[in-house]
Amino acid sequence: MVLDTFEALTMLAAILAILILGTTHLRTNLSFYSLHTTALAAVTAWIANITHDSHLYVVAAAVFAIKAWVIPYFLNSVIKKIDIGTDTGAFIAAPLSMHFGALLLGLSYVISQQIPGLIGDLDSRIGSTAAMSILFSGVLLMLTRRAAISQIVGFLVIENGVYLFAITQTHGMPLMVEMGLLLEVLVAVMVAGLLLFNIKKSFEHIDVSQLTELKD
Amino acid sequence: MNDLLYLIVLPAALALISLFLEVKLTRKLVPIMIWWQLAIVAFVLHPCLQGTERMQFASGLAVDKMGTYFILLTTFVVSCCVTHADYYFAAAEANGDAYAARSLRLFYASVNLFLLAMTTVFVCDNLGYLWIAIEATTLSSAPLVYFERNKFALEATWKYLMVCSVGIAFALLGTVFIFAASQRGTLVEPTLNISELITNAQLLNFPLLRLGFIFCLIGYGTKAGIFPLHTWLPDAHAESPAPASAMLSGALLNCALFGIWKVASIINAAQPHSHVHQLVAILGTITVVAASLLLLRQHNFKRLWAYSSIENVGLMVFAIGLGSGPLFFLQALNHSLAKVALFLLSGNIIQASGTKKLNKMHGVIEDCPIWAVLLALAAFAVTGAPPFGAFVAEMSMLSLSMSDGRWILAVIMTGAIAISFVAILAHVGKVILGSGKQGFKSFQPARASIIPAILVLCTLALGVCVNTEVWSGSWSVIR
Repeated sequence: MVLDTFEALTMLAAILAILILGTTHLRTNLSFYSLHTTALAAVTAWIANITHDSHLYVVAAAVFAIKAWVIPYFLNSVIKKIDIGTDTGAFIAAPLSMHFGALLLGLSYVISQQIPGLIGDLDSRIGSTAAMSILFSGVLLMLTRRAAISQIVGFLVIENGVYLFAITQTHGMPLMVEMGLLLEVLVAVMVAGLLLFNIKKSFEHIDVSQLTELKD
Repeated sequence: MNDLLYLIVLPAALALISLFLEVKLTRKLVPIMIWWQLAIVAFVLHPCLQGTERMQFASGLAVDKMGTYFILLTTFVVSCCVTHADYYFAAAEANGDAYAARSLRLFYASVNLFLLAMTTVFVCDNLGYLWIAIEATTLSSAPLVYFERNKFALEATWKYLMVCSVGIAFALLGTVFIFAASQRGTLVEPTLNISELITNAQLLNFPLLRLGFIFCLIGYGTKAGIFPLHTWLPDAHAESPAPASAMLSGALLNCALFGIWKVASIINAAQPHSHVHQLVAILGTITVVAASLLLLRQHNFKRLWAYSSIENVGLMVFAIGLGSGPLFFLQALNHSLAKVALFLLSGNIIQASGTKKLNKMHGVIEDCPIWAVLLALAAFAVTGAPPFGAFVAEMSMLSLSMSDGRWILAVIMTGAIAISFVAILAHVGKVILGSGKQGFKSFQPARASIIPAILVLCTLALGVCVNTEVWSGSWSVIR
């Protein structure tokens, strides 16, 4: 199968998301996340180039600036301040969860055929496969990791999956909506980052699997 | 100037001011200003109250009859809560655990941002904006949950933020699917505008629309606390301070349900009486059943009301599943009034007795008769006992579902409502009756009872005055 540039870029994004699953080293995770988001920004710019839709260039630039640069930079500084380098232990060993991720990529290819109404669309098959695979990787990340910061990265990866879905299946939502989403994600990460400091301060760890005080 | 600006300028300004102003002044100023905001909202939106179908502010921002009602309800709830918050903080000071000025500043700033975000939810006529506004309500209320600054509050806030954000991400996926449905149908111009989607619902690609609806239901349902996605709700409600719990329960849940209602009305316009609507009604019933069973074994006073909120969310989802906007609003209205009263009263009692545990509370009737009476009345109101407003709503809902031929659901629902009635009254009875040996700390029963008493009277008035025919009959098609 020969992929054109666009499809190769979406697949690159999906594979980079799977690579995040492969390591518990938090800074490496964030670097992969940054690269993964850069690939998404490139996909956006590529679509803007095809559809001659100038607002998508703006979206691509904003995605690159906020999600590929500001957010990883912020999270990196949080990691440095709370002085935690690796995820204390995944529920599933990292290499294993990466293989799961790869399996889910295959599953996504099968499922993407099943989505009603999308079949037969130009270049949507690979795009929706990649988007769904990113979505699965994000969910897997949230389910298998213990460190609170990995949960944030998991949420960001899920959000990226939804974003890629929007960009490949609908060629981008209206500009105002996209900008609102970006702002919202940025604020959410900031709030979560601040909470992270407090979790570290009062619990002296950031292991969310140990946050089980509250129950009926 | 645009009318929309009038709606949001005051909360925005207050949010900014309360960060800098002296806390003592803020505590008095914010309640007055938010009651004033209620007057402004009523004035700006009065055309909608008098029968205008909708007011358009800008592209993608419009308010209809139901939105107007919800904005008024939300503003009313917030003004009641901040008015009571002044007493709540004063009582905390008198008990010797005063809150830091910094926490209080953040509290008032967040409350105003929260009100701003919730007001925006009801004026959104665009699914994208709706998503943004609902996520904004999560972010602005996170500081309210974290108010106590202890380990429990931290855990609750973290769960709240993560569960709701991830849930809402699925609602975003649903929104994308609906946008795709508008592109792949026979619509000329793809759109996210809810009113346009409703008018052109027949032209949308139905399988994609259905998929989108299901994701939106999961996403906004997480935020609303539908079983089994409710895990964040009891934690957040129990750990936040009483005025904040009251706002979360009485205002925030309505926002998420309003999102579900909006998306449901699109799918209802595309294909009335589809299986999807049946699914919503079933989901509502499951939520009511699960919540009423969970209500039986509660040990924490505030978690009790949190589970009762889940039960009421189930009832509202059921009303949405029946496709009845008026019943959805009537239930939301009565639930908000009674539940805000309950949370505020529970806050008083917890402050005075120094415990949240149900098995350590008893004899409120001896310590403070007026609270006991109000607590009993509000508990009756929230369980849907006559003659309170919720009874009218629940009765109409059940008879509507009977006449729709969904009598199995109606029977299950009746059983679950009965169980929750017994459960709540058993718990409340233990709190109220018995000997009052718990030694209430300093408190001012009269001042603390004003707001709950007003709320209880409102829901009583609704129950006595509202004509059932009006709600289940003629104008059941308001959107």
